[in-house]
Amino acid sequence: MSTGRLSAVAVLAGHEVRRLWVQPWSWGLLAGTLALLSYFFLLSLDGFLALSTKLAAATDAPGVTDLIAVPLLRTLSNLQLLLVPLLTMRVIAGERRQHSLTLLLSAGIGNSGIVVGKWLACLGYLIVLLTLTAAMPLALAGGANLDFGKLAVVFVAIAFESAALCAIGVLASSWTAQPVLAAALALALNLLLTVLDAGARLQGVSNSAINYLALPTHLEPAFRGVLASVDLGYFALVTMVCLTLATQRVDALRSAD
Amino acid sequence: MTDPHPPIPLLHLDHVSRQLAGREVVRELDLQLQRGEVLGLLGINGAGKSTTLRLIAGVLAPNRGKVLIDGADLYENPTLARTRIGYLPERAPLHAELTVVEYLRFCARLRGLGRTGVASALQRELERCDLGEVRNRLIGNLSKGFQQRVGIAQALLHEPALIVLDEPASGLDPVQSLRMRELIRSLRGAHGVILSTHQLSEVGSCCDRIAILHRGELRHSATYAAQEGAQLEQLFMRIATDADANGQAA
Repeated sequence: MSTGRLSAVAVLAGHEVRRLWVQPWSWGLLAGTLALLSYFFLLSLDGFLALSTKLAAATDAPGVTDLIAVPLLRTLSNLQLLLVPLLTMRVIAGERRQHSLTLLLSAGIGNSGIVVGKWLACLGYLIVLLTLTAAMPLALAGGANLDFGKLAVVFVAIAFESAALCAIGVLASSWTAQPVLAAALALALNLLLTVLDAGARLQGVSNSAINYLALPTHLEPAFRGVLASVDLGYFALVTMVCLTLATQRVDALRSAD
Repeated sequence: MTDPHPPIPLLHLDHVSRQLAGREVVRELDLQLQRGEVLGLLGINGAGKSTTLRLIAGVLAPNRGKVLIDGADLYENPTLARTRIGYLPERAPLHAELTVVEYLRFCARLRGLGRTGVASALQRELERCDLGEVRNRLIGNLSKGFQQRVGIAQALLHEPALIVLDEPASGLDPVQSLRMRELIRSLRGAHGVILSTHQLSEVGSCCDRIAILHRGELRHSATYAAQEGAQLEQLFMRIATDADANGQAA
């Protein structure tokens, strides 16, 4: 991609972020999610304080990181399966509905530039949400021993998961001109990836190909503090496949009536 | 004696064809536009005008033939579209949730203008398209006429060599239509303009040359002076009705 096209992609991504921030639903989604997570955080903190004397007496007892921070970030990770489709449903489907996709198609930034610019903007939104969520347990750092390494591992894993979910959402949004249908498609794909290996897990199989395709297989190690390249590679692969398919779809849209 | 080195046209559709949904919407179209010229593309609904303009703007790729901008193939050099072409489609591609200034600033930056270039281009187009009074209003709250002007402004921001306007006066009231024609006339000279329209009166007031399309084929091309007023109307009707009669006979 040439420098000119790269800068156009950056301009598009910045513009999409701006469009997100000027719309009330975007603020509402962020505020609602953070309110829910804050409530969950306070409940966890309350439970931790109630158990603190017992935990202090036990050897190798789990700390604030395992009992408050990781469950909080795990909840965010689960919520993203529902949130991301709402965030991404308009990115291409909404443009088609408004007849404004022509602006991008005629701007010479290329099909991949359009897809990547939109994806970057959604990812930026989710990184803000992830950072604000991570700030809750980090606020306890002054009075508790936090495992910063483990927190960093979970943060990176969820950031990669966000990238993959955004790519799935952008792909779903490129398939239809109806944002609601795009959200439903993205949600169906997310849930499919989540429960794909449920049968295998019930049978006690944990290292088959079907396990590899499932999202939880690649998140669980991170929640235990293990950051494996194979897991990050999985998210990168899902992201690349979805963005490539979305690019092909945008190319096909150029030929649509 | 003919010029051994004729000037390279700003736009050359070199035997372009395009199919959509299995139907050949544009057939072997060969058309040229020189700098400073305003070309009116005429035709009844379904004649292939909008598809032709989408091909020129780089939104669609031709199945056969080439679209050449200053002699360079648009599809081998897609960045040409970014800098050399300004395009207003049939429905202005607007972002209703942004203000006029926010939207135009984005369009200018998308077309590669720098920070200082953006400020001066914005000022110029707000004045030229008479958008000063609504500059800070949300586009979604503007009337159709103002929205169309915002659409025109986005096509002019980067001072493109070629301006492509698909039914620029559609949905405008008579006063707004008149202003649109004045604007198009003011573009003549510095830019090459190609516009599609149903209104023959619009052609007379803005265009140097006309091209009549029917069923995706170029049926007639001439300077407007050679084909004025009622004569043009008769010619247009003859092409449309003859072709329809032939189509029914076939």
